[in-house]
Amino acid sequence: MTSTSKNAAGRVDARRARLSRWLDPDETTLAVLLLAPAAILLSVMIVYPVGRLIYTSFLDLSLTSGLPARFAGLANFQQMLDDPVFWQATWNTILITLITVPGALLVGLGLALLANLPFQMRWPVRLSLLIPWALPLAFAGLIFAWFFHSEYGVVNDVLNRIGLPGVIWFNSPRLAFAAICLAIIWKASSFMAMIILAGLQTIPRSLYEAADVDGAGRVRQFFEITLPLLKPTIVVALIFRTITALQTFDIPYMMTGGGPGTATATLAMYIHQNTVSFLDLGYGSALAVVMFGLSMCVTALYLRMIRGSESAS
Amino acid sequence: MASVGLRKLEKSYGAFRVVKAIDLEIIDGEFVVLVGPSGCGKSTTLRMIAGLESISGGEIRIGDRIVNDLPPRERDIAMVFQDYALYPHKTVRENMGFSLKVRGVNAGEADAKIRGAAEMLGITHLLDRRPGQLSGGQRQRVAMGRAIVRRPQVFLFDEPLSNLDAKLRGQVRTEIKRLHQTIGTTIVYVTHDQVEAMTLADRIVILRGGDIEQIGTPDEVYNNPANVFVGSFVGSPSMNFAKARAAHGYLDFADGNRLPLAALTGTGISAADGREFIVGIRPEHFTSGTSDIGLNCEVQVVEPLGSDTLVHFSVAGATLTARLPPELRPRPGEAFKLGLDPAKIHLFDAETERALH
Repeated sequence: MTSTSKNAAGRVDARRARLSRWLDPDETTLAVLLLAPAAILLSVMIVYPVGRLIYTSFLDLSLTSGLPARFAGLANFQQMLDDPVFWQATWNTILITLITVPGALLVGLGLALLANLPFQMRWPVRLSLLIPWALPLAFAGLIFAWFFHSEYGVVNDVLNRIGLPGVIWFNSPRLAFAAICLAIIWKASSFMAMIILAGLQTIPRSLYEAADVDGAGRVRQFFEITLPLLKPTIVVALIFRTITALQTFDIPYMMTGGGPGTATATLAMYIHQNTVSFLDLGYGSALAVVMFGLSMCVTALYLRMIRGSESAS
Repeated sequence: MASVGLRKLEKSYGAFRVVKAIDLEIIDGEFVVLVGPSGCGKSTTLRMIAGLESISGGEIRIGDRIVNDLPPRERDIAMVFQDYALYPHKTVRENMGFSLKVRGVNAGEADAKIRGAAEMLGITHLLDRRPGQLSGGQRQRVAMGRAIVRRPQVFLFDEPLSNLDAKLRGQVRTEIKRLHQTIGTTIVYVTHDQVEAMTLADRIVILRGGDIEQIGTPDEVYNNPANVFVGSFVGSPSMNFAKARAAHGYLDFADGNRLPLAALTGTGISAADGREFIVGIRPEHFTSGTSDIGLNCEVQVVEPLGSDTLVHFSVAGATLTARLPPELRPRPGEAFKLGLDPAKIHLFDAETERALH
């Protein structure tokens, strides 16, 4: 065989080997190929925007100044520390989370237990549970803004009918805050109820029957069986709800616009104000990074709780 | 320990009667098995005794108390569920001790009782595990432990072996029997498996469609089935049935086989010419052909089991099975004569399907 024909045969073999490598890749290549679409999607949709946000938080970038973006180091974060509205909005956000998450959990748990009772025509009850959850947040905000309206609101009407004076709800920081919390609990409890109801339905009926035979009454059954077996479901519901509560925006925005003053402003509203109204992208991004950090901390805490309960069981 | 009495006990869901006014007296310390096919009302009856199901009529008595309206916890019963119903988040110790804790038994006494029950069942080494860490057989034992730890008046078992594999089922069955022999408490046990019923019961209650078909000891229901249903339900392989008509002192099968009536109807059954009977023969009551009385048949299928040989053949259009000694291996298609002991042949009225004794 001549060296030319040898080379040609070698090239064909190499091509065949390359083709077979593509058609039958080794495990590592296959893993990379299979993971690549998800990794690319996550990078484009999550990693890049978050990375960009963190990068922007270190810039002095205000679209109203007309100046080009300038690296400002930790200046935006420094500004935050001296900004009373930031502290007020953060405190309001934490307070809303601390009040509405347990509130929605308790109301949702109650609703789920009711919906799980063995009565006929359960589906209308379950459907009605869905309605508050299905309503847009802004719409829920408008409904409650009307409920608590000082002149036309249902709440004042009821107060008047039972001989009590009406209240200008949104003039008082505390009352406005309470009204917002009520609206959030109403809106969020249906979501909690749906998740908890799904959890309740996974608890076998025979456990309650065994507890009946063992002599446990309803209250004891709730604390000894229902609640422990619902724990993983409740933790998942709490993660979702807490993260959403930390991002509270629509309901207070529609009900009070953050007022009176900044008494009901939340961190998300303040981010919106700085970024969209004041076009201060650098400071707005720094605020968003803080909110992102808060969410991450809470998620990590809950995940630790889940891992704890999993290893315990 | 206590007796259990059911009087005209009834359960209906709307117009559908699941249990139809049944009467049953279970004596103190007796092991009674309710057996029957799916939907016969056996589990419903057990659940009514437990108080987990309301009753539509009649009366339930445990000991000398009418318990119709008492909740389960006041009936002094314990129950082993089909799916064991162990609390998954509690350890074996906590599962077994739950009823004691609820009743306010002090920790030391409760621990002694739990240890006693665990030792009896050989599960002491499992006390600190959770149900998720146990095998099916171990869970079964824990469920029994939870039931016996309180020493109730009556144990109720709802198909407790149905989730176990065949080998384990045999082992646990023996353990349940041993347990009853040890503690002697009244047991009401539900199963659809006639082998379980036969091996465990002092008395068997056979149910069909919400009615009791027969109550008797395992020997009674095996040797003297009250009707075709009981005959077919008890025994494995089940009893063979073929129709035959009385004529000139013989029972004639449609394929020409005949059995002498005098040998079968010694107890004075009216056997006028033309009367139709259902003849019931258990597979194990066929012999290999030396008897004068027997059936000529053509072998269809042969199943060697090692200990026996099952031979399937056809008589008067019905497929019958004979259990023969293992050394006998007729070939499919072979003409074969199977002998019969007339004393072991059962006759049933062809219309009512009731036994004619």
